[in-house]
Amino acid sequence: MTANERTEVTVEVAERPIREINAEIRAAAADGHAVRVTDTRSRHNLGVALPEGAVVTFEGSVGYYCGGLNDGATITVERNAGWGTGEAMASGRITVEGYSGMSVGASMRGGLIHVKGDSGPRCGVAMKGGDIVIEGDLGFLSGFMAHDGRIIALGDAGEATGDSLWGGEVWVAGSIKSLGVDTNVVEPEPDQVAALNVLLADLGLESADRDWKRIVSGQKLWHFESRDASAWLMI
Amino acid sequence: MCGIAGRILALPGLIGADLVELIQAQRHRGADSTGFGMYGEPRSDGYMVRVVADRDDLSDHLETFLDIARAHGADYIGDPTWDDATTDHVSVRLVLSNPASSFERWLADADFIDGFEIQSVGRSLEIIKDLGDGYEVADKHGIRNFVGTHGLTNARMATESFVSPTASHPFWARPYPDVAIVHNGQLTNYYLLRDRLRRAGYTFKTDNDSELIAIWLSDQMANGLTIEQSLTDSVTKLDGCFTYILATIDSMAFAKDPFAIKPLVAVEEVDGTMAVATEEQAVRKIYVDDDDLAGKAMVNYDGPSLTGVWPVPARTAAIAGAGVGA
Repeated sequence: MTANERTEVTVEVAERPIREINAEIRAAAADGHAVRVTDTRSRHNLGVALPEGAVVTFEGSVGYYCGGLNDGATITVERNAGWGTGEAMASGRITVEGYSGMSVGASMRGGLIHVKGDSGPRCGVAMKGGDIVIEGDLGFLSGFMAHDGRIIALGDAGEATGDSLWGGEVWVAGSIKSLGVDTNVVEPEPDQVAALNVLLADLGLESADRDWKRIVSGQKLWHFESRDASAWLMI
Repeated sequence: MCGIAGRILALPGLIGADLVELIQAQRHRGADSTGFGMYGEPRSDGYMVRVVADRDDLSDHLETFLDIARAHGADYIGDPTWDDATTDHVSVRLVLSNPASSFERWLADADFIDGFEIQSVGRSLEIIKDLGDGYEVADKHGIRNFVGTHGLTNARMATESFVSPTASHPFWARPYPDVAIVHNGQLTNYYLLRDRLRRAGYTFKTDNDSELIAIWLSDQMANGLTIEQSLTDSVTKLDGCFTYILATIDSMAFAKDPFAIKPLVAVEEVDGTMAVATEEQAVRKIYVDDDDLAGKAMVNYDGPSLTGVWPVPARTAAIAGAGVGA
């Protein structure tokens, strides 16, 4: 099959069973077709566990866990996404053109999630690798207990940003409403900014004049002592 | 887990039909029981009483209920009606004239008929709740035909108390007519606050943590706090995870905990029409695509410690009108 033969296939969601829809998306992707998913109605579990090379566009809002367990697919959501978008993804790219929902990129291990709107609370919770770029504002408690990877917000960050980070980094270009416990804000090194700009340039988002705050783990949680427990109470 | 939803119509309409679709779309969040709290055209006089009773003893209980009502100077307005299913429990609807003694004294007596449990009392509110998912409860009780201005609904997955029609949501804020809540989450300090309210004279009919929210909020408002102040207070005074929706005769409202665990999404129209639910796919049952959403706001209330109030246009206009007339 040549590239010219790889036409776009349309899969309709409406009220049909999700298993049937996902099987059709997977079959079309396996045949080398790009897939356009229509009438999505914010339903859950769309495009879960898509394989390397799949190109899937959701023509509307999706519900929970869209693109979860992604392993190399390129996924676009043309409106908003729900809870757990891209949860535990290993590789590939997810673009959300609207609002990301809660816990976007939870436990992700690799790949890129690009949100053009704002993120909900707990963006990148427990993430183990990969990058999340939020063009808008970063929600409450983002980066909570992340181990590795980067969360990059071009807008402002909400309350408790980077709370209980074990590793990884949260980059914020705008203001930060409040920092979470056990976080340090450090001056980024020029080579770190350069590396970040390579990623942002790929998304058409590079800019030389951003006032980056780079938030990393304070590393006290690495050696937790029960007598210090009161320091971890947020409220 | 539970799913919750609410709906406001700018003009009275088939509120029940909308609530059924909003909650059936969230059936997967808990289908052990489903309930509806709906607000029809308010009576100027008398109260609608909704009851869940033992079917076998219904005629005896109705006789006792009527004796108590008459002892308090009240009587039926029309005949009681009930469902004709074969379940052990039966849902009864009664309309009662105003008790001549006092509402509270009548309720205190009426509340102690064993096997005849009052679910709601109101000029406008009627709470109907039963075992099963949204469609099962709707089919059994004719929910889709209910005409009203606003209402709330819950699909329950029981965590804090047993599964029964009376332990499901919505909860009426006994003894305050026309106040109800639905709750998604679990409270951890409800028994402390419940003890305090019991000592102050309140009656709780279940061990459900959510029943506390309705009565606690109403007590705050009875003590002079505004609805907004009560909501804000609840964010720190209630402990646990919660997003709840409160309904009164002329408004709906919500609050959520400082960890913002439970989501909530609303579609708000300029004329005050509103649909709110735990999951966006539920409001998509009413606003299916972008054409349906044109000129309307879809708002994700996902942040920590959020509160909000939605007025019911038909009721606030009626109140304003009455004010002008007076």
